[in-house]
Amino acid sequence: MTEPVLSVRDLRVEFATRRGILKAIDGISFDIAEGEVLGVVGESGAGKSVTGSAVIGLIEPPGRIAGGEIRLAGERIDNLSPQAMRHIRGKRIGMIFQDPLTSLNPLYRVGDQLTETIRTHLDLSPRQARERAIELLAEVGIPAPEKRIDGYPHEFSGGMRQRVVIALALCAEPDLVIADEPTTALDVSVQAQIIALIKRLCAERGTAVMLVTHDMGVIAETADRVAVMYAGRIAEIGPVADVVKHPLHPYARGLMGAIPSLETDADRLVQIPGAMPRLSAIPPGCAFNPRCDRTFARCRLDRPEPIVPAAPADAGHRVACHLYDSAEAEALP
Amino acid sequence: MTEKPLVEIRDLKRTFDVSKPWLNRVIEGAPKQFLKAVDGITFDIRRGETFALVGESGSGKSTVARMVVGLLPASGGEVIIDGVPIADTSRAAEVRRLRRRIQMIFQDPYASLNPRWRVERIIAEPIRALRLAESEREVADRVGELLSLVGLHPADGRKYPHEFSGGQRQRIAIARALASKAEFIVCDEPTSALDVSVQAQILNLMRDLQDRFGLTYLFISHNLAVVRHMASRIGVMYLGRIVEIADGKTLFARPRHPYTRMLLNAVPDIAMTGRMREAVKGEIPNPINPPSGCTFHPRCPFVFDRCRREAPPLEEGVACHAVREGRPVAA
Repeated sequence: MTEPVLSVRDLRVEFATRRGILKAIDGISFDIAEGEVLGVVGESGAGKSVTGSAVIGLIEPPGRIAGGEIRLAGERIDNLSPQAMRHIRGKRIGMIFQDPLTSLNPLYRVGDQLTETIRTHLDLSPRQARERAIELLAEVGIPAPEKRIDGYPHEFSGGMRQRVVIALALCAEPDLVIADEPTTALDVSVQAQIIALIKRLCAERGTAVMLVTHDMGVIAETADRVAVMYAGRIAEIGPVADVVKHPLHPYARGLMGAIPSLETDADRLVQIPGAMPRLSAIPPGCAFNPRCDRTFARCRLDRPEPIVPAAPADAGHRVACHLYDSAEAEALP
Repeated sequence: MTEKPLVEIRDLKRTFDVSKPWLNRVIEGAPKQFLKAVDGITFDIRRGETFALVGESGSGKSTVARMVVGLLPASGGEVIIDGVPIADTSRAAEVRRLRRRIQMIFQDPYASLNPRWRVERIIAEPIRALRLAESEREVADRVGELLSLVGLHPADGRKYPHEFSGGQRQRIAIARALASKAEFIVCDEPTSALDVSVQAQILNLMRDLQDRFGLTYLFISHNLAVVRHMASRIGVMYLGRIVEIADGKTLFARPRHPYTRMLLNAVPDIAMTGRMREAVKGEIPNPINPPSGCTFHPRCPFVFDRCRREAPPLEEGVACHAVREGRPVAA
């Protein structure tokens, strides 16, 4: 069996505040294989972006990685020095952020930003780097790249800027790309173009992608596997078709039902009562239990660990819910 | 149609002056520049229905919303609500009475509530300003009632907006809109800033309130799935014009205008029916210098000569030469 590109084991991220320690990420584990797109969904505050930041080593104090392991192609990266991490970031892990305007420096030409990044990571002459930058811009679908390369970010539209950011992320041929809400700031018609682009480029290069978003539609279309996060933990993880069509975890079910769809008619949307708990007040037991309509005594005491569900046992499908524990399943009607 | 529509929008226009400062114009010899944000749109909203405007950023949806509630004067055309043109200064008293019946809910629930006021004061403001209650006690009762109506606790009135989550703040904004016993509520992207599960709560609440009080909504959104869920009729906007207007069901089942088709195609497919998304070409052009003729022609796959010359009028619900002439527009 080949080694996964990214392997996260029991990762915990904590933020020390005046009122005590907040556990933003509380023991999550997942792998991403070569060429695979893992979608990470969840609502604001579920810990999606913190997971991404932890992987690229951008957790700023007062936050810290409090436990667990992150391995990139088998090599531990969570305990590297900032200097060593800087070599990995950009070279082996590329990043695409939500807002393309803030991820580009407004004072530098697009070409300078690209060639600088290329030359930091690859041993090329300025001329070669420029040629490479033009190739990349052409590849991400920017018309007339040999002219546009000398433009400033403000001369590009939102969608075009996001293309430049993608070119930046891919310029050193990374093993892994972390895309944090890459299409949230874009209009739907442009969103479709960007998603198709990320998918095509990563498939061609065999790049693993961690796609963080709150948009289930984007995940359904792009990801191979999906992890649903809730209050700093993974509630359910599995192949995208299974999780989107037949979610098991009550939270995942509620989340899917809450999305208005273009295909089906519903008079009312499924409504999950309440809101996600604050990190300072995560309830004991299963964090979802106060909002869940199927809780029983154990949910309030015991924190569920991800298990292979008893009934539809799919490869790689895990759900953190006591309902699917075979011992409980027998006891329940 | 037997009943007169509650809201009539007639050839509504709005231009913004985006010229450089006077000195620059003199030195550089640059002409004045205008941006046509809304370029002559006409539609009706019937009593008790939800009319939605959809479109991408820059299509002019929010400008329409602001003109309808009177936050922005129109450059041309009319907004007539219940038979009264709201810009008619000769009927000021009538217009003032009308104002009470129109309210707006904004996109950002963090910016639309005064952070220094307690929630009870925020909700009571329209009641006090419009003198809808006899005594302070009545005001307090009404505030409590409104809070429970939107799913909050009457005691929450003592809190400040920052103590609430985004969804709860949007509930407060809805309570404030209902405080004046409004009949017509303009909702500008009311759920865009919210998570899906909270969005579902707010959309359900808005529908319940509509059923209960017979409210009429003008619903502005860029999210087609949300619009499909909420609206009885939909207008699709592109660069300041309505390109297609239809019943919700018809629009989604049989879109006619090439832009509407493109928009529908671009929506990510959550049901995973295996439908292939068509990659759309291009982006919305700069509205300061819009393309000639039909503004959609540079992105339209069915473009022909006439499209580049003449702007198509909105007739029988669609503004497209190709549809008018019966030429095929299906891919």
